[in-house]
Amino acid sequence: MVRASTKPWNPLTWIASAFLCLLLFLTLVTAGPLSAEVVDQVPRILILYPYDERIPATTIAGETLRNRLQQATAGKVDLFSEFLDLSRFPEKVHIDRMARYLSEKYADRHPHVVIALGEEATGFIVRYRHAIAPDAKIVFCGFSGADAAKLSLPSDVVGAFSEYDIAKTLLMARGLQPDARDLVIIGGSSDFDRSWLATARRSLAGPASGLRTTYVEDLTIDEFADRASHVPEGSIILVLTVFTDRSGRNFIPRNALERIAAKASAPVYGPYSTYIGHGAVGGNTVTFESVGKAVAELAIDAIAGKSIANVNVPKTFVADARELTRWGLPESGLPAGTVVSFKEKSLWETYWAAIISIVAALALQAAIITVLLFEQHRRRAAEQESRLRLLELVHLNQSATAGALSASIAHELNQPLGAIRSNVDAIEILLRKERPDLNLIRQILVDIGEDDQRASDIIVRLRGLLKKRSEIDWQEFDLNEVVNSAICILRAEAGQKSIVVSSSDPTRALPVRADKVHLQQVILNLATNAMDAMVDAAATERRLVFQTALIENSKVELSISDTGRGIPSDQLDHVFHAFYTTKPTGTGLGLSIARAIIETYGGKIWADNRAEGGAVFRFVLPLAHPG
Amino acid sequence: MTQLEPVIHIVDDDKSYRTALARLMEASGFGVVTYGSGEELLAHLPRSAPGCILLDLQMPGLSGLELQDRLTEKAPLLPIVFLTGRGDITASVRAMKAGAEDFLEKPAPREALLEAVERALLRSEIRRAELDRVNALQARLETLTPREFEVFGLIVRGKLNKQIAYDLGTSERTVKAHRHNVMEKLGVHSLAEAVSIAERLRLLDPTAKPPEDVHDAVRRTSP
Repeated sequence: MVRASTKPWNPLTWIASAFLCLLLFLTLVTAGPLSAEVVDQVPRILILYPYDERIPATTIAGETLRNRLQQATAGKVDLFSEFLDLSRFPEKVHIDRMARYLSEKYADRHPHVVIALGEEATGFIVRYRHAIAPDAKIVFCGFSGADAAKLSLPSDVVGAFSEYDIAKTLLMARGLQPDARDLVIIGGSSDFDRSWLATARRSLAGPASGLRTTYVEDLTIDEFADRASHVPEGSIILVLTVFTDRSGRNFIPRNALERIAAKASAPVYGPYSTYIGHGAVGGNTVTFESVGKAVAELAIDAIAGKSIANVNVPKTFVADARELTRWGLPESGLPAGTVVSFKEKSLWETYWAAIISIVAALALQAAIITVLLFEQHRRRAAEQESRLRLLELVHLNQSATAGALSASIAHELNQPLGAIRSNVDAIEILLRKERPDLNLIRQILVDIGEDDQRASDIIVRLRGLLKKRSEIDWQEFDLNEVVNSAICILRAEAGQKSIVVSSSDPTRALPVRADKVHLQQVILNLATNAMDAMVDAAATERRLVFQTALIENSKVELSISDTGRGIPSDQLDHVFHAFYTTKPTGTGLGLSIARAIIETYGGKIWADNRAEGGAVFRFVLPLAHPG
Repeated sequence: MTQLEPVIHIVDDDKSYRTALARLMEASGFGVVTYGSGEELLAHLPRSAPGCILLDLQMPGLSGLELQDRLTEKAPLLPIVFLTGRGDITASVRAMKAGAEDFLEKPAPREALLEAVERALLRSEIRRAELDRVNALQARLETLTPREFEVFGLIVRGKLNKQIAYDLGTSERTVKAHRHNVMEKLGVHSLAEAVSIAERLRLLDPTAKPPEDVHDAVRRTSP
């Protein structure tokens, strides 16, 4: 870049470049060892499984081990697994081949720690450690101290011993079957199986005293099962391990036990936790989880460079509740602290979470329902109360309206009453004559009847305004009918004030559901307001117009327009508020009551000014039969 | 003037009430004409027959009081009896001040109604007689020459012949002759009688100037 520059070559630039290059070089050189160190800090751990991957004992232990290591190193660990498969390939040729293979495989990545699961894997790695993992720390697990002694392990190889105490397993069996007379002990044909049988013979001599003890060995799996099915009643069967039967067939011991236990005529016990759930009643054992955990702790300490020593994996009694039930053995006969698996849980134990949540949900629901009921009751009471109040107000307002209209109403009533009186007087005079005009008298009587009808019609129209009621009288009726009735009541008042009242010709019936008197009340209210608003208008221009219409096929509308002074536009919304009034004698309740009434029946009411002057009040109500 | 039966004019927008009232009046021996509104009455204003008007106070269109205002000029001989469905003090006072004969509330008892009608008809009679007299006097007054009318105007104001002669720029003797003629034509025998006629014809209004001529004076005396 510098050379490409058009600037003249400058010695100062050269020195600076050289210095930078040197810095870069130094950085690269020192970076190498630094990063290698970082890689070295990730420990490599080789886990040796003695058998194949299907053996539950090693699989469970291995899995627990891996998890613990991952957890302890926060994932910064290289874990390798090798399955030696020594039960199926016990030949020395295979073992040597395996050793060669592994030594070459790990030539460039020597493990820092080798964990051997079980006696066979431990023997293997002790023997070939120099080839496979020359500087590695070796830890082991899965066998007893006695077996370790037989392996004559070097002093730097330490592990977690699993002390299988077959005597304690027998103790457990005798506790459960105190009346047992026979003890049958089953073992397979592999080296491991045979060593187990030997151990049993040694350690059971004392604890089995008083029992007829039979060792069943050198049989095929079917023969084992057959023997187990013919043991004397009340026997105790102990199954050690069957890795291989007499015919040379290899087994996962758990599966072998399963086949035996399925046919057995007496309870079967065994020293492994993996037997639980596959036909064994129980036993004294180390769980493979605890084995994995114990050896993991040793490995972690080894990585950390701490000095480690042999430990014992704690033992527990385990039992299968289903087998106890199957053989009718009392749980009370189990040693204290026995871990019982597959216990038929009580409804409560099985479903406690569900039960608690259901009960909680029910309680909550009940509470909510109670609250809602209470709330509903309160609301209903409040609604009832407010409805009563409204009805009272409506009644008061009706009475007030009736009062305001009384002069007009009196006039309206006086017309027919006056006519009746005059007609009666006329008849009286006519009858006094020598030859009364009977045709005329008949006609007069007809007219009297009509006037009487007219008077009673007026009273019927008014009755609602004066009658006090404590509940809504729901009816279905034509809105036009109420409008006409209201107009009849108002006519005299309008005449008095020289107001011309007109209404649109109804094009169809507009059925609504409400209290007729309430609607009449609203209409009278709106109309009397409108008439009051026209006091100042020229007498020839006082017009009150009622119009009804169908809106959107679902609502009915009534508009009442006047030619009065209108409403100040900023007050259009306020006119329906309680105590709003422009009249010196008004209560300001009429329109707020009108609104309350209309809203009670699911409607809406509002006011507008008309472009040509005057105000128009409208309300809409739902049609009784929409559509 | 031919003597006519008194007629009762009923004005009410309520047909039923109107009819009933008409029947009662007819049965009681009166002539009756009914009208549905004030406008209708004005359109068929009765000219000469005596009678009265039974008028509804509240009617669409021309109200009772508005109609009363117009009738005072157009039908002075028909006293008005108001009928109302609502007792309204303001309206009734107004109506009475404007010369209503009576003010009844519906439904009025027959006696009250008939009494009011009788009174109104009597008043109508009196007004008619009064009018007849005035008309007769006017007729006589119209026989005066302009000069005699002038002299009459001065006589009834209490002027002496001498003063009148001076005012008119004539001789006392001529005034005396005019005075004699005036007394003769009016059929009066004393100054008091002449003053009474002048008063009745409202020629002695102190604020009014003496009339220019007899025709003007007659016009002004029309009620």
